[in-house]
Amino acid sequence: MADPQLTVRDLTVRFPTTRGVVEALNGVNIDLEKGQMLGIVGESGSGKSVTAKTLMNLLPRTAEVEGEVFFEGQDVRKLAAEGKEHFWGVEMTMVFQDPMTSLNPVKKCGEQIAETLRYHLGRGKQEALEEAVDLLGQVGLPDPKKRVHQYPHELSGGLRQRVVIAMALACQPSLLIADEPTTAVDVTVQRNLLNLLDKLREERGMSMILITHDLGVARGRCDDVAVMYAGRIIERSATETLFSDSRHPYTDALLRSIPRIDQPSHTRLEPIPGRPPELITPPVQCAYAPRCRFAQPNCLEEIPDVQGVKGMHEFACFHPANTDRGREALATNVAAGKSAAGLAITGYAGGGA
Amino acid sequence: MAGSGTAPLRDDNPNVLVTVTDLEVEFPVGKGAVVHAVSGISFDVAEGETLGIVGESGCGKSTVAKSIIRLNDIKSGSIDYQGHDLAKLEGEALRKIRPDLQMIFQDPISSLNPRRKIRDVISEGLAVWGDEQGSWSQDRIEELMMAVGIDPKFGDRRAHQFSGGQCQRIGIARALALDPKVMICDEPVSALDVSVQAQVLNLLEDMKQRYGLTLLFISHDLSVVKNVSDRIIVMYLGKACEIGNADELYEHPRHPYTRALLASIPEPAPTVDPSDGDIEGELPSAITPPAGCRFNTRCQHATDICFTEEPQMQRIGDQDHYFACHHPVEVSVSV
Repeated sequence: MADPQLTVRDLTVRFPTTRGVVEALNGVNIDLEKGQMLGIVGESGSGKSVTAKTLMNLLPRTAEVEGEVFFEGQDVRKLAAEGKEHFWGVEMTMVFQDPMTSLNPVKKCGEQIAETLRYHLGRGKQEALEEAVDLLGQVGLPDPKKRVHQYPHELSGGLRQRVVIAMALACQPSLLIADEPTTAVDVTVQRNLLNLLDKLREERGMSMILITHDLGVARGRCDDVAVMYAGRIIERSATETLFSDSRHPYTDALLRSIPRIDQPSHTRLEPIPGRPPELITPPVQCAYAPRCRFAQPNCLEEIPDVQGVKGMHEFACFHPANTDRGREALATNVAAGKSAAGLAITGYAGGGA
Repeated sequence: MAGSGTAPLRDDNPNVLVTVTDLEVEFPVGKGAVVHAVSGISFDVAEGETLGIVGESGCGKSTVAKSIIRLNDIKSGSIDYQGHDLAKLEGEALRKIRPDLQMIFQDPISSLNPRRKIRDVISEGLAVWGDEQGSWSQDRIEELMMAVGIDPKFGDRRAHQFSGGQCQRIGIARALALDPKVMICDEPVSALDVSVQAQVLNLLEDMKQRYGLTLLFISHDLSVVKNVSDRIIVMYLGKACEIGNADELYEHPRHPYTRALLASIPEPAPTVDPSDGDIEGELPSAITPPAGCRFNTRCQHATDICFTEEPQMQRIGDQDHYFACHHPVEVSVSV
């Protein structure tokens, strides 16, 4: 295995608030190979966007960050401390969720792209504008010569997002982080945008981290998927393995709770009981234990370490689904009518039971 | 796309509760221009049925729903509900009928008054409509709260003290308070996390059974709509493209737009080809919609006739399946 392009080790982020310290990230590890597409999925508050913002050096000053981030041999956190901001913009760039708020409404689209080129690469005014036209063509904007002179409000949501993508790609980054890039657009537009990102990634040999709450998007587009819950990556593997042979009970339950298009109508869904935990001084236990159908007494006493095959299929659970240990735990809980955390359990068709 | 014509109305069905005929809604946008939000749509909903409306943003699905409870003005058309034409009712007559028609909204938190206790939010309808004020109160509110899975002891809390999923439950309790016949759900789970979405969908299904509701369920999520609906309308730019039984419609989609939607979702339906999703461009302006079939600017199958003549709704055999297209996709029906 070659050296990964991006290595994140034990990344921890805390936000002091008036109500206490929010532990937004807790020991996140990421390895990303060059040219790879990694999906990060999770619900709101799970830490996916904080991960992206930490990598992009966009956290507010009050955030307390610990851990290491290395990108192609460079210590990213050191770069941040030294104020080397060209790194973000040239090597590592980002596409945000809402194209309207990530574009300047009083500046023409072309100027905004040209600005990036002038600031980071020192291009001349005319030269930068010509490159902007070329970039808009590459991201599939019809009539790019006209579009460079338009304002963001003159474009539809899908076209705006293409402008944002053109901006992110302007300096030929080697890693693009896309944070919910298609959440604000319709499905037909979403498909076109994701196809575009796929194509550009292949042409440029770029790596990508795709952050999404939509498991379907991750499944269709990513090489590897990491699932986050309460500030931790609780499972990571090759995409198909994750969807067909998940280990963490949360992943398993999440997949079973989503309505599927190939099920007949009125198929009863199996929701995940309860809701995600508070991140202010969480108890020392598996964060998912209170909602978990597999939970045993040890889940409430310590936080499970990551296990499994490193770089292949890793998960943080004492009683993983689709294994004998998991089946045993589930059988115990079903027999008792409740989990170790007191969750009432009548039965569960998932987890390989 | 077109979808004009009253073919989808089931005149022979005695259980029909709401019949919408040739509904047209327009919104002025200044200088004499109007947005053609809904342009001649006809459908009906039978008692106890769930009708799903699906389509992209701007297709008019929310406008259709809001028209039924008269949250916007109607240009023409009729909405028959138990012998009343909701499109024409005014004043006291309209007020009297509204308890029968309740709505839950997309953003569960902003649709609750942040300054009021949720007990008061839920009981407001009863305070207006209850015969003997005071006597209904606490028992009925507690029953409703328990029905939607909110512990009655939290009745004195306010909306910000609940999560999104709990707020949506409170919104459902409020809608149920007046014992409605029809409940309109406008993207009720779109703002919720996936793990909570299933809880709310199951709750809606339970409430529908328990209180004998008829549901109109609007969503842009095709999988969610299929899960809850008996029948589905696919809308595009103010018109209906295809109407039919939920399973049948997804199994044998005939309209190119329905197929495009089903092929565009991240995990495409197995009943369409991936190439069906190759539609170019975006929704045209609803101020100057295309002549003929409104989908003609993006359709792979469009020919001359699609630019001149609007296709009418037609029925497939004697099935509960209707579409409006000059070049419907032929599907092999497996028996």
